[in-house]
Amino acid sequence: MSNSAAGLLVALVGNPNTGKSTLFNALTGLRQRVGNYPGVTVARKSGICDLGDGRKVELLDLPGLYSLAAASPDEQVVIDALSGNIVGARRPDAVVLVVDATNLLRNLFLASQVAELGLPVVIALNQADVAKEQGLRIDTGLLSRRLGGVPVVLTSAWQGEGILDVRRGIARALTEPAPMKRVSWPTDIAGALAEVAAAAAADTGRPITEAEAQRLLFDTNPSTAERLGWALARREKTLRVARDRVRHSGYNPMAAEPLVHYAHLRLILEGVVAEGLGKAGRSAAVDRLLLHRFLGPVLFLGIMLGFFGSVFWLAKFPMEWIQAGVDWTKSIVAPPLDAYPMLQSLLADGIIGGVGAFLVFLPQILILFLFIGILEDSGYMARAAFIMDRLFSWCGLNGKSFVPLLSGFACAIPSLLSTRTIEDPKARLATAFVVPFMSCSARFPVYALMCAAFIGPVYGPGWQSVVMIGMHCVGLLFAVPTAFVLTRLVLKVKPQPFVLELPRYQMPKSRDVLWRMWQNAAEFVSRAGTVIFAITIIVWALSYFPRDPAVAERIQAAHPTAAPEVVTAKIQAAYVEQSYMGRFGKAVQPVFDPLGFDWKITVGVLASFPAREVIVSTLGVTYSVGEGAEADSQHLRKAMQDAKWSEGPRAGTPIFSLAAVLALMVFFALCSQCGPTVATLAQETGGWRWAAGSFVYMTALAWLAGTAVYQVVSRLS
Amino acid sequence: MNLEAVIVGAIIGVAAGWLIRRWLAAARRRKEGGCAGDCACATKLKPKK
Repeated sequence: MSNSAAGLLVALVGNPNTGKSTLFNALTGLRQRVGNYPGVTVARKSGICDLGDGRKVELLDLPGLYSLAAASPDEQVVIDALSGNIVGARRPDAVVLVVDATNLLRNLFLASQVAELGLPVVIALNQADVAKEQGLRIDTGLLSRRLGGVPVVLTSAWQGEGILDVRRGIARALTEPAPMKRVSWPTDIAGALAEVAAAAAADTGRPITEAEAQRLLFDTNPSTAERLGWALARREKTLRVARDRVRHSGYNPMAAEPLVHYAHLRLILEGVVAEGLGKAGRSAAVDRLLLHRFLGPVLFLGIMLGFFGSVFWLAKFPMEWIQAGVDWTKSIVAPPLDAYPMLQSLLADGIIGGVGAFLVFLPQILILFLFIGILEDSGYMARAAFIMDRLFSWCGLNGKSFVPLLSGFACAIPSLLSTRTIEDPKARLATAFVVPFMSCSARFPVYALMCAAFIGPVYGPGWQSVVMIGMHCVGLLFAVPTAFVLTRLVLKVKPQPFVLELPRYQMPKSRDVLWRMWQNAAEFVSRAGTVIFAITIIVWALSYFPRDPAVAERIQAAHPTAAPEVVTAKIQAAYVEQSYMGRFGKAVQPVFDPLGFDWKITVGVLASFPAREVIVSTLGVTYSVGEGAEADSQHLRKAMQDAKWSEGPRAGTPIFSLAAVLALMVFFALCSQCGPTVATLAQETGGWRWAAGSFVYMTALAWLAGTAVYQVVSRLS
Repeated sequence: MNLEAVIVGAIIGVAAGWLIRRWLAAARRRKEGGCAGDCACATKLKPKK
């Protein structure tokens, strides 16, 4: 990073859903994912913030949390970061506490705990526009004085208001550090804290801060004691005696901390907030409709139908333009290489055919993320989580599981990381196990290809959307019973209440939505230009070699009167069949025969185990090579529509029948075909046992479900 | 061996080598407690012992 990294470090801390990430973006100009439901920040995010006085500081965006009593791993990260207990990172020089201006008392509880760490503090009262709309008037001067002179500023990060004041506040906090007014503990609690600090210091041989003593006394979670190296045998008696002392003073030791803090805050906030007449009820009125017991799920289904229908409809023409661009590139690249058929096939069929088949889906991916961005930023996604919770809570999943499960529809990897917000390790494990069932965006091109080629043209665009939604639900249908068995019978997870803060509805900010769309498009194109590019070259090589001239001679001799283009096509098809890929596909094909897959689909399925979207480029290569370099204008869809079984009882019938297409989509909906996901699951569950179990379970389930779909649909049709 | 075969062989070799290097790098990052994805997107914070 720049010279500031060696200089000053400022941490951004706050409750979830206070607009912390939006404020971080506004202060640093650096983009990060801005979600509208709690728990979106789980990784370390930092950027450079210019204070406007010639100084630059490194700003660290920490995960959102409600208190310093760490219950989940990401909350522990915040405490470690603020205490300077992170390897390779030092203690921040100041903290910006992002506080929801509409809910000062609850949000200032965390601020009051952070004050115990003795760090210079800036209080940013964010969402000031909403507070104003609700008729709340906050006396920031009085609040600042009551808090001991710490800078208190009103901001609306969403509207870009008050950002300069936050910069000035940070500059002031760093130049004239004013510690925030701390809680005065009742005598017995203060005595108990001193006893704990003295005993821990004596046993561990290191000084114990007041904040550490509070965590030791008030938390049931032993993480602080373990980090300090205070052995259970030594701490047990001290903590029991200290907690008894708290109990004798009239406080429950587990509730003493919030009770004392809230009493302290009520005194501070007296007269700070004046309530006027506002428009607080607008979101509530919309929610009465969107969260209605019966209407809510119906409207949710309607929104999803419109969502997927629009993805197809809006992307139709841009996809055709990209396809035309791919064909044009082929027509430019291939002819000059007529004298070099091997190189010509590598470039035209392998690289352009394979990468092009994948890139064609860029418009759909763009529109998909545009809609996801609108749903998230408008506040509807949190309502969707609420509706889903009502539908699926019976399966025993922890309430907090729904945020990772919902974000799993974009990508399983960040979803698996976000399971760290779940306190109960067993519930976290169960959630992580079912996250890969969610239909991630990498499955989308597979469904889109199949629907556009076989469902839309035959059954109409309406069915295209229905099948798309159906495929996105297949994963959920299997995830729910899997979670039920895991949580109720295997892991025996205790049910926990689901507390989800519903954000107010707001007009999505085009800048944030478009930026996220751009980020996902860049990721998609970068994947096409790197991993997909390299894999298509390997797939091409395996489906091109070996090339025995005797094959061509044999076919020419067998068809002496056939037209040259017919003979060429037969030779190309024979070459692909006897290639390494062809031989391998044919050897393995019997395993996938019950699903109606021919050897080419089998090859595509096997090549997709490291990354499922590879099937599109693999089919692009195998069908391109089979058609020969002359087939420039042949789209993958057309080649697949024309493909027929050449032997066996199905000879002459289409390979991609309705039964085979549905079986292929169901197989992809359920199969564990993502190397990074399996690796992340292993990392998050602390070993390969659960990751291997997930891989075997999902793959076996995919095969069984695909077989059932093919056998049933082929008999019915 | 002709020039065409050498060029095609080199392209295939570079592609295979790049993929193997990328997967090895991801495995190393995982071992060091970093992001397990192959995108190097996040840095995991490790508490001091």
